Amino acid sequence: MKKALLLGAVLAATPLVAQAADNSTPLRFVLIPKVVHPWFDKLNTGARAAADMITKTTGQKIEIEYRAPQTADVSSQNDIIERAIATHPDGLILDLLDEKGNRATMDEATEQKIPMTVFDSLPPEGMNITAVGADFCEQGTIAAERLATLIGKKGEVAIMMGVPTAPNHTLRAECEKKVFAKYPDIKVVATGIDNDSIETGQKQASAIMQAHPNLVGWVACDASGPVGIGQAIRESGKAGKVQEVGLDNLNDMLQLIRDGVAESTASSRPEMQGYWAVVSAWQSAMGQKTPKYIDTGIDVITKKSL
Amino acid sequence: MSLETTLPGATPTPPKASSIRALVARMVANPLGGVIGAMILIFGISCVLSPHFLTSFNMIIIARALAFIGLVTIGQAVLMILGELDLSVGAIGGLAGVVGGMLMVQVGLNPWLSLALCLLMGAGCGLLNGLLITQLRLHSLVLTIGMAGVYGGANLVATRGVAITGVPHEISFLGRGLVFGFPVPFLVLVVCLSIVAFVMMRTPVGRYIYAIGSNPQAARMLGIRVNAIRMGAFALAGFLSALAGILMVARLGTAQPSIGDTWVLSPIAAAVIGGVATTGGLGSPVGAVLGAVIIGMIEDIIVLFGISPYWQSIVSGGIVVLAISLDSLARHYLNRDAS
Repeated sequence: MKKALLLGAVLAATPLVAQAADNSTPLRFVLIPKVVHPWFDKLNTGARAAADMITKTTGQKIEIEYRAPQTADVSSQNDIIERAIATHPDGLILDLLDEKGNRATMDEATEQKIPMTVFDSLPPEGMNITAVGADFCEQGTIAAERLATLIGKKGEVAIMMGVPTAPNHTLRAECEKKVFAKYPDIKVVATGIDNDSIETGQKQASAIMQAHPNLVGWVACDASGPVGIGQAIRESGKAGKVQEVGLDNLNDMLQLIRDGVAESTASSRPEMQGYWAVVSAWQSAMGQKTPKYIDTGIDVITKKSL
Repeated sequence: MSLETTLPGATPTPPKASSIRALVARMVANPLGGVIGAMILIFGISCVLSPHFLTSFNMIIIARALAFIGLVTIGQAVLMILGELDLSVGAIGGLAGVVGGMLMVQVGLNPWLSLALCLLMGAGCGLLNGLLITQLRLHSLVLTIGMAGVYGGANLVATRGVAITGVPHEISFLGRGLVFGFPVPFLVLVVCLSIVAFVMMRTPVGRYIYAIGSNPQAARMLGIRVNAIRMGAFALAGFLSALAGILMVARLGTAQPSIGDTWVLSPIAAAVIGGVATTGGLGSPVGAVLGAVIIGMIEDIIVLFGISPYWQSIVSGGIVVLAISLDSLARHYLNRDAS
């Protein structure tokens, strides 16, 4: 009888012991963005907030290893993903530069049975992986529609294209062009390329405003470009005369809104994307099924809402 | 340097310091001693500090990543020995990759024929660089900065910045395949390096390249066809860059316009680490590729050790400076003893 009671007690305690043992070993997730960039730093902040939340609520320690490529180049990113696979993490959280170009490397992760979650991008076709992010086209459309309204649906506008090889930048530009094409009195007179650099964006925007003195508005396709545009508008003394609707929520962008240089920005909520990517990765590591897509939405940030 | 004598039949027991000095002397006497020593040191430290470093999976990763940068490094090293430099090699690699993708996907050409045409195109781009430099008497650094813009711009015009997808599967083994456990791109690198090293060390053309790099005027007076060799070297660099670009397309399965963006400075750094003089006339392609191995290992351990991305450039740059400094210090130490 005593033996039976002892066995029962041991069996009853096993899940608790197992849980305690699991919790003592941290889950290690490697977070690999497209490139070193302040937007991804905000995303990393959100990821760490999710890790803290999970630890506080469940006792499970979560380690986030942030590995950003120095350049937005698929082969460089693949190298980093492969090296992360070599360390056998509990999950990979990836912002894919090109889902087809990343495919072979992701297949290697699948072979090694490493769960993956993608954010700010979509997984390769046929891969059952949760994607966390916002609709890029919707983001560009919101920005362009807002600018169209600001300028009374007429006048010359310009688009800062971002990095020409980045699919999300190209998509935003296409959707912005579609919006402007709806209004016969709006003419897109110039498109600049900022390569996701504030300095380049500033130079391009200054040159375009010199060449097109009747320009009345700007939209952009990445996070750095609109900051450069705002600086160019301020330097040329055209704040208020040339309208700007930015993208994303870099601190410089928010300051431009506070200063009245830019009217607003359409932000794809990087902190929230990082947060839910970690939650999804944690669920995958626990063997739970996760949704196909988590839409973190678009925020329109104005001086009033800041 | 101290001389040691040993009585017949006696067991030589040189002092410890002398043994170290002898070892350092042997290493330094070999032109590749410094880079090999640094490579062994980094390899050993990595093996001790990371349990993930010395795994077959990680070795394959290092070998495959080395292949692309290594191919470009061979061409750049030959140019540097010649006293030249080509900053358009990355752009040529990218252009060859996207042209290959377009020929295979959009034109529907046979993949192998497409690859051959791209290699020819790469060699042609390099030859054009060489032609402009020799005939217009331009400085290679300045000319190739401009040509990098031309080739990179052609890449953007052709692709509009969008990757070309649907590359035929027949060529994927070139980038992804393994033969006897070695990645195919790595084996291509070994073959190319062997051929170029043989030409550099065992043929008159190789000797001419060193002669031109040391003193082009003297080489010309000796009857060496300096301009023809310079153009040939640029064509070789273009060919190898195109080969790297095509292998990368096979690896990725798509022709990315960004291919080659990171192939400009690393091959030059690799060549310098490997003992190639920026002033020409010194070094070897083998040393340059060993320099690329060092850079590849550093890039690998940076990720394995979990170094913050903001510190990566400092760490990798610091290790490179340390590796070069150790080599220089060892030579200084021996020279001081000899005098």
